[in-house]
Amino acid sequence: MSFPDKEKRQKCWDSRDRYWECLDKSGDQIEKCVEVRTLYETTCPSQWVKHFDRKREYLKFKERINEGYEPLDEKKNTKS
Amino acid sequence: MFISYSTKFPYCFRLNLCVRKTVNGLHNVIALRFFKNGPGLQSFSNPTSQGLPKKKEVFGKKGPISYKTLLVTAGLSGSLLAFMLYVRKEKEAAIQLERNRALGKAAISGKFNLVDHNGVKKSSDDFLGQWLLVYFGFTHCPDICPDEIEKLVKVVDNLDQMKGVPKVQPLFITVDPDRDSIQSVEKYVKEFSPKLIGLTGNKEQIAEACKNFRVYFSAGPRDQDDDYIVDHTIIVYLINPDGEFVDYYGQNKTSENISAGILLNMSKFDQSKHSFWK
Repeated sequence: MSFPDKEKRQKCWDSRDRYWECLDKSGDQIEKCVEVRTLYETTCPSQWVKHFDRKREYLKFKERINEGYEPLDEKKNTKS
Repeated sequence: MFISYSTKFPYCFRLNLCVRKTVNGLHNVIALRFFKNGPGLQSFSNPTSQGLPKKKEVFGKKGPISYKTLLVTAGLSGSLLAFMLYVRKEKEAAIQLERNRALGKAAISGKFNLVDHNGVKKSSDDFLGQWLLVYFGFTHCPDICPDEIEKLVKVVDNLDQMKGVPKVQPLFITVDPDRDSIQSVEKYVKEFSPKLIGLTGNKEQIAEACKNFRVYFSAGPRDQDDDYIVDHTIIVYLINPDGEFVDYYGQNKTSENISAGILLNMSKFDQSKHSFWK
C-alpha cells in the first residue's frame, strides 16, 4: 500500500481545514458540516481522519487551558 | 704631608713610566686595569671610556626612563598579556570540552547500518566527515513528519546559501520498516528535496538505529484497510563530522532556531579542533 503523495496530502489537509472552519463557524455542530465532513473523509485515509479528529480535540482543549480553564472547577460545578 | 707626597710621587711616576715602557706593545685595556686606582689617569689612559661621563649626564637629565626601557617594558608586558589571554582561551575551550563530555555523549551513539533510497548499504561510518541532521518518521505520517522534513530541508537550504559554512547532510530514517520499502522511501524523500537521503532496513536494523538514537517508536492498531499510524519521537538530531551526537531540536524549534544552533555547534567544533594543546 503506497503512502499518500504530496498532492494527496495537500488535498487532505485542505479538506480538513475546510471542515474545521465549518465547525468553528457553526460552534461545533457536526450536523451542519456533514457535506464537508464526507469530502474530508474521502480525501483523507481513515487513519488520518481519526488522527486529525483527536488532534482538533486536543487543540481545543489546549486553547481552553490557555484561557484559564480548570477541569476541576467544572467538575465541582456539575456536582453542586 | 709634603714628604709623604714627594716620596709617593716619584714612586708612582717611576712606576708609571716603567709600566708604560713594558706594556708599550700591549693593549690599552691592560693599562687601564693597572691604573684602576688612579682616577685622574683612568680617563687619560683609556680613550674608549671618554664617552662614559657624557652618558651619565644624559642619564641624569632625563631620569631612568628612556625610550629603550619603555619599549622593553611594553614589549614584555604585551607578550605577557597575550600569553595570559591565550591561556584563558585554552582553559575555556577545555572547560567546554569537558562539559560536552559530561553532558551528552553517553546515551546517543548515533550508529546505524541501513540501506539508502538507492538501495545502497549505508552505515553511520559512511557519513563521517559530514555534519548530519537526522530525523525519524514514516511515509504514511499524517502531518507532523512532512512538516518536520520541510523544516529540515529549509534549514539545509538556508545554510547552503551561507558562505564558508560546511555542508549539512539531511537524513530521513523510517520507523515503519514493514511498509517503507526502498522504493517508497525513494519516492517520499524526492518529494521534499534532492539533498535528502532516505534510509530504511529490516525490523532489526531499524530497531537498532532507533535504540542508538534513543528514539521511541510504536505502531498503532491496524484498521479495516490495514492502515496504521506509528507513534514516534519527534526530534531532529545533529551529528558532527566525527560521528558524535552534539545537539537535538524538538518540534517547537523553528528553522531559524535550528540554523542558529547548528552554526553555534560548528564554531564550537572548529574551536576544539584548532586548540593547540590537544
